Amino acid sequence: MTAPTPLRIAVLSFAHTHALSYVHALAAMPGVELIAADPDGAAAPDDAPRGAALAAELGVAYVETYDEAFAWKPDAVVIAAENSRHRALVERAAAAGVHVLCEKPLATSVEDAIAMRAACEKAGVILMVAYPVRFAPSVRDAIAELRSGRLGRILGVTGINNGKLPQDRAWFTDPELAGGGALVDHVVHCADLLDELLGERARSIRAVSNGILHAGRDLEVETGGLVTLQYPSGVIATIDCSWSWPMSSPTWGGLTLQVVAERGTVTVSPFARGVAGHDAHGETWSPVGADLDALLLDEFVRAVREGRQPQPDAGVGIRTVEIATAALASAARGGEVVALA
Amino acid sequence: MSTLKVGLIGAGGISRVHADAWRALGAEGFVTSLVGAEEIAEEYGFELVADVDTLIGLVDIVDIVTPSSTHADFAQRAIARGLDVICEKPLAATAAVAATVARAAEEAGVRLFPAHVVRYMGEYAQIKAGIDAGRIGTLAVQRFSRAGSAPQTPWFFSEIAGGGVIRDLMIHDIDQAVWFAGPVATVYAVQNPPTVDDHVPAPVTAHVVLTHRNGVISHIHGSWVAPGMPFRTSVEVAGSEGRLRYDSAEDNALRTDAVLPEGDTDYLPPMSPQESPYFAEIADFVAALREGREARVNPADGIEAVAVAEAAYASIASGAPVALPEPSVVPDAAATEAATTEATSRNAEEATR
Repeated sequence: MTAPTPLRIAVLSFAHTHALSYVHALAAMPGVELIAADPDGAAAPDDAPRGAALAAELGVAYVETYDEAFAWKPDAVVIAAENSRHRALVERAAAAGVHVLCEKPLATSVEDAIAMRAACEKAGVILMVAYPVRFAPSVRDAIAELRSGRLGRILGVTGINNGKLPQDRAWFTDPELAGGGALVDHVVHCADLLDELLGERARSIRAVSNGILHAGRDLEVETGGLVTLQYPSGVIATIDCSWSWPMSSPTWGGLTLQVVAERGTVTVSPFARGVAGHDAHGETWSPVGADLDALLLDEFVRAVREGRQPQPDAGVGIRTVEIATAALASAARGGEVVALA
Repeated sequence: MSTLKVGLIGAGGISRVHADAWRALGAEGFVTSLVGAEEIAEEYGFELVADVDTLIGLVDIVDIVTPSSTHADFAQRAIARGLDVICEKPLAATAAVAATVARAAEEAGVRLFPAHVVRYMGEYAQIKAGIDAGRIGTLAVQRFSRAGSAPQTPWFFSEIAGGGVIRDLMIHDIDQAVWFAGPVATVYAVQNPPTVDDHVPAPVTAHVVLTHRNGVISHIHGSWVAPGMPFRTSVEVAGSEGRLRYDSAEDNALRTDAVLPEGDTDYLPPMSPQESPYFAEIADFVAALREGREARVNPADGIEAVAVAEAAYASIASGAPVALPEPSVVPDAAATEAATTEATSRNAEEATR
């Protein structure tokens, strides 16, 4: 057996905290050479460690600018910039003939997302969207059980993606950079799972939201939301995307999908495995189970080596952006039902 | 104090837990029903009565546990003869009819208790107390879920006859959502598969989303799955300072892990009065009556729950959210009169089909 050809991967931006676990996962892979660039880090309004300091902490080689990162001739990039800055970086990577793994949501508008797919298709490079939850073994098992038909047809789904307010990075609550609040951050994971489970595009979307949670912080975005979807097959679904876990919670939050079929229900909570307890400071939670970011990165790296388009691809990236942006539009219009053209 | 005489109207699925509560309270029971009254009479030592009007002449209070389309009529008949009434949910098929019943009780000077039993389930009551005590700050988002076997009796599958998964099952959580977060401004609902020609499909699932007048948003899921499906409910409420939740699937107060013969899995132990929500409910109604105080559920609550369920069906029909009018305590007499007549003739028409 020969060792795989070294693969050069550049992590672009540390804006999204997932960049940290991506660096850890990539650094642990044999045959991967890694650098990172975080030129916008210094200008971030929060005081979270960014740029060269964070790179040093993570033990990853660092370059100051995206120009230097592309000049290094990477085979692939992992983009973890603020949501609205994804498009420019993806288009730049495509122009350079570099494969892309892009943080979710793919973009803050459907138009941007479609342009990103077009750029990557034209350049013949991979565009994968970072939806790690579908890689969870419990999610694989749940989908397999539902697809087996043992429980009959799927009738409806409740998706719950609740968590703490993502406060260590200020841009998450910046309407311009994030594209919205909880309706953007926490709708798309459930929307991705629904897309894979149902294999169809939503027909209509209706959302309501409020800003009661964390009202004292004077945020410009919604912190609570309920998004109801209808699919052509008749399936109904509602996603609770609220940042409703208090900051004193022992972990970031969780995701649960409760699927109702004709002969039973399946409830899957991929982050519910762990050990609960108490220490001197209160409640504790020690998660157990597969590292989902590592599974996601593993599939991306394999696809790059094998020269194939992996899932989740730009198509589901676009469809999930479509749901988040329609939800924002519906909530802005007081809960009007938005039909997808 | 003389022994309370209670008349149970109906002997179906829910009648036994009510009868258990009356027996535990030491009431003298009477029962009438088109079907099954003999069994209840024998099992609980109640006196078997031939019909509703005879029963009304024998008792101090009636407890209506019949199919939903008959609730309003039986309640009116008992009220007209000066009796206090306990009525299973929903109080009536429409809010207008429910309001008519409530007004009749008020005018007759008798009490009317809509039996929304979930208010007496310890976990839900504890969440309500937590919210009211400010434990989770300002309420923001609520989620309720309720799923189990589809019922087997045909009237549950006719929305005109007072059935349907929203009006029959999800009304429990509609009442909880309103109890926790207050009056509702907007209702949006979806159901799969849809009800066609007043035939509610089974299995069926529905989602109802409420926007309360104070800005709180609530999601309610209800499903009737295939027969044999274990029953499960859950609730989670989140506020500015914290969250409270309960899931019956995580209730481990009593759990049996055992090797049992086939078909031996549906044993349900009788609930002890100390923890039975039905006992707590009926005991509260009886105490409210004796002490002349409000019960935990009052007629306005029963009317509001029906109004929200009705708006949910209107939302499904129109495919759009439905706004509820500002709550008005006393509805217009002429309008409710007309609504009652219309509903009664419609029920009569349905019954003859």
